Amino acid sequence: MVSALFTVTGLRKRYPNGTLALDGVDLAVPAGELAVLLGANGSGKSTLLRCAVRLVEPDAGTVRVGDTELTGLRGAALRRARSQVALIFQQSRLVRRRSALDNVAAGALAHHPGLRTAFGGLPVGERARAAELLDRVGLGELAGQRADTLSGGQAQRTAIARALAQRPAVLLADEPVASLDPDATSATMALLRDLAHRDRLAVLCVLHQPALALSFADRVVALHRGRVVLDRAASDVSPADLAAAQVAAR
Amino acid sequence: MGRRLVVGAAVLVGLLVLGQALLVAEVDPRKLVEGLGGVFRLVADGWPPDPGALPTAGLAVLQTVDIALVATVAATLLAIPFGAAAARPRSGGRYLSAPVRAVAAFLRAIPDLVWALVFVAAVGLGPFAGVLALTVHSVGMLVRLFAEAIDEMDIGPADALLTAGATRTQVFSHAVLPELLPTLGSLALYRFEQNVRSSLVLGFVGAGGIGFQLLSAMEEFQYRQASMLLLVLFALITVFELGSARVRAALR
Repeated sequence: MVSALFTVTGLRKRYPNGTLALDGVDLAVPAGELAVLLGANGSGKSTLLRCAVRLVEPDAGTVRVGDTELTGLRGAALRRARSQVALIFQQSRLVRRRSALDNVAAGALAHHPGLRTAFGGLPVGERARAAELLDRVGLGELAGQRADTLSGGQAQRTAIARALAQRPAVLLADEPVASLDPDATSATMALLRDLAHRDRLAVLCVLHQPALALSFADRVVALHRGRVVLDRAASDVSPADLAAAQVAAR
Repeated sequence: MGRRLVVGAAVLVGLLVLGQALLVAEVDPRKLVEGLGGVFRLVADGWPPDPGALPTAGLAVLQTVDIALVATVAATLLAIPFGAAAARPRSGGRYLSAPVRAVAAFLRAIPDLVWALVFVAAVGLGPFAGVLALTVHSVGMLVRLFAEAIDEMDIGPADALLTAGATRTQVFSHAVLPELLPTLGSLALYRFEQNVRSSLVLGFVGAGGIGFQLLSAMEEFQYRQASMLLLVLFALITVFELGSARVRAALR
């Protein structure tokens, strides 16, 4: 068996209001695989991704990227580990008044600490690389355009380019297609699959649509009330399995 | 019935409060009527404005604007880091917010005129005392306004860079500042406008600028000079308000 690149073990999270969002989640995604995480609202999908990058602090359990354990790290060590894991949000979260190119280049900031970047400067080499990444996601011509003038699909692809700029080993995506039209949805999912298969990233993508998961994913994982209730190769998953896992969006 | 009683009592209390205010403030319409003649005489004596006062007025106006300019730039540069420190902490581990807010509240609670008295005593008469007074007071105002602007902004882009491994300083300069810049610019310009007006009054306590000239002219009964100064001042403030309104609209 291939050693998993992204591993979550026994992850638990209870919010201050008493909600148990994650109840001992175990999950592993190897390099080169697109795993899709399904689940109804409140099943803990988003919390899982947020705990993975420590945007939310888990109560117990571990998150590993390769040999590095993210849980328990602080300061510079945490920043280095975070740069290994890229998180794509439901909204693109671009800096509106900056160009697509500047937004993408900013993804690489973790690799360039120092005075220049602390005062808002971007490393020269990263701009050239950002241009390549924008080409890769099909937006080379819009590099100079301000982020708030991009369409939803273009903004989301720019956000993916920004995630790639941080040179991650793991790509996490939290409902990246939730606000996109069908064409942009297919293009984005195809891009994520390509990043797994061609670039050998471990990709974990939260989705709401089981049909989309079955057509793009290598593996399907379903969460229900903070627990993994299904974890299987997509080719072995039937609609009945999905119904049993109660993953339908409500 | 009971409700009427309450309303009646409230009206009575309101009248009593207003009544004592009129007494304590020594409001006396007779004095106003008697004094009106004096006001008209002053206006008549000040007409026509003395063009001879223009060169002095020009220099004094420049000084007034420059006091406000230096103070606004200094206050803005200081208020950006302190405003960021005063913003509501979004993640644990930051205890700066409350003390920075408290200091800023103290700085702005003391009127700039009082700060001017303090700094005239410290660095002597002249425009520099005015610069210091306006800077200190403006820092107090701008830290609060900047912190509120940061509190209200969308933190999505900042979170995105933070989870990508950027340092807090990088997050601030690459995600927070670019989003905030138009707001900060607009607030600083508005502050500049107010500082031009304040800098004028500071002249009265010897902190330089056109206010000092105005006071001297009045004390020496040079009313035609004084009216020229007032005219220049009016023109200045009008130009300022128009200009700053345009720039602020363009920033949006």
